[in-house]
Amino acid sequence: MPLVTVRAVVLQSFAYSETSKILRVLTAEHGAHALVAKGAQRPRSRFGGLLEPFTEGTATFYVKEGRDLHTLTGWDLLRNRQGLGRDLVGFAGASLLAELVLRFGTEDADPRLFEEVTAAFDRVLDGAGAQCEATVVAAAWRIVVLLGFAPQTESCVSCGAGVSADQSAPFDPSGGGVACLACRPGRRTLDPVSREELRRMLDPGGETPNFVRPRVQRDLLRAFLQHQLAPERSLRSLEFFEEQLAE
Amino acid sequence: MPGIGRKTASRLTYHLLKAPPEDAQRLARAIQAVKERVRACERCGNLTEHSPCVICQGARRDQSVVCVVEEASDIAAIERAGEYRGLYHVLGGRLSPLDGVGPSDLTIPGLLARVGDGQGVEEVVLATNPSVEGEATALYLHKLLVPLGVRVTRIARGLPVGGDLEYADGVTIAEAMQNRREFGT
Ligand SMILES: [Zn+2]
Ligand SMILES: [Zn+2]
Repeated sequence: MPLVTVRAVVLQSFAYSETSKILRVLTAEHGAHALVAKGAQRPRSRFGGLLEPFTEGTATFYVKEGRDLHTLTGWDLLRNRQGLGRDLVGFAGASLLAELVLRFGTEDADPRLFEEVTAAFDRVLDGAGAQCEATVVAAAWRIVVLLGFAPQTESCVSCGAGVSADQSAPFDPSGGGVACLACRPGRRTLDPVSREELRRMLDPGGETPNFVRPRVQRDLLRAFLQHQLAPERSLRSLEFFEEQLAE
Repeated sequence: MPGIGRKTASRLTYHLLKAPPEDAQRLARAIQAVKERVRACERCGNLTEHSPCVICQGARRDQSVVCVVEEASDIAAIERAGEYRGLYHVLGGRLSPLDGVGPSDLTIPGLLARVGDGQGVEEVVLATNPSVEGEATALYLHKLLVPLGVRVTRIARGLPVGGDLEYADGVTIAEAMQNRREFGT
């Protein structure tokens, strides 16, 4: 029963009993876990009042083999992101990123996923306002790649032929990427500028582009997530995120 | 039962077994009565036996102020403090997209109707919890309420009374600093 101390970010937090909370966290070295924080709802809890979504800290807990729920024994706050509650697009976007990890993250260690998620929360927090949408969309794509669902952008999902970067190409969300006109005639095409933006977003070191056609990028992400990641159960935060953008 | 562990449960069981049968029956009737009679106030969502509740019907309550809370249990907490004399509105939760709680799962239309129906509501106090989700909910409501021409306020955040700075967490201290005001106001 090893005791581990790791950097962790809270993705979801809910009451477990009158006094305790369940946290779903992502850690750098131990993947995603559910933790019970006993007494966390008491006013003078040793964990402080900040076991909340998007908060980052150093968590100490016992990893019990074969168990789904581990017991949190210590929590040192590193970064609270309470400010995400003060911008609705940011709050909705951060919720979407958290939901992606909650639904598809595993217990396998993935330090890059941890870095991407926490850095994305910070970028959303700092970049409230107009650029917030692009920040969230770009982070969602990078998380999608790290979770193993990368879209195909250079060659046709059907026949494998190369699809030149300077032309419009059909995008087939259920096939998982671009296609050539011969394989997917009549499907809505993705213009070269938006394709280039997508390519940059998928690049781990790439900068977040200023979308020329935000609507196109929004539709593209939604269609891909729905077909590739969440065909049966839609992502709850996605709808809320889009509602906030619409206003 | 929340708050009752195995030990307490067995103590309660022994107590009931030893008690006269009338006592046990009275308790059973009381539980039944709670389940049958207590419901949500049609106006504010407070738990009550008679709808509208005593607060909504109170002649000495200030009808021009509505305090918005997440849960009916929050009303009891504010009432215990004895400072607030207005009305309430229970949302039935807070926005939490991750838990599948969106605007349509809360009693927001009812709140907007109360404010917009010309019954003299002048101020809405947003008293959702000082959590990320509570803040986002307050922000969301603020956006909907302002166009109705009503004054929208948010309860302050700060240090617990009787507490000691030394033991307050950093975020609470930071919030208290940010929300500082002129001395003597
Ligand atoms: Zn093809
Ligand atoms: Zn009432």
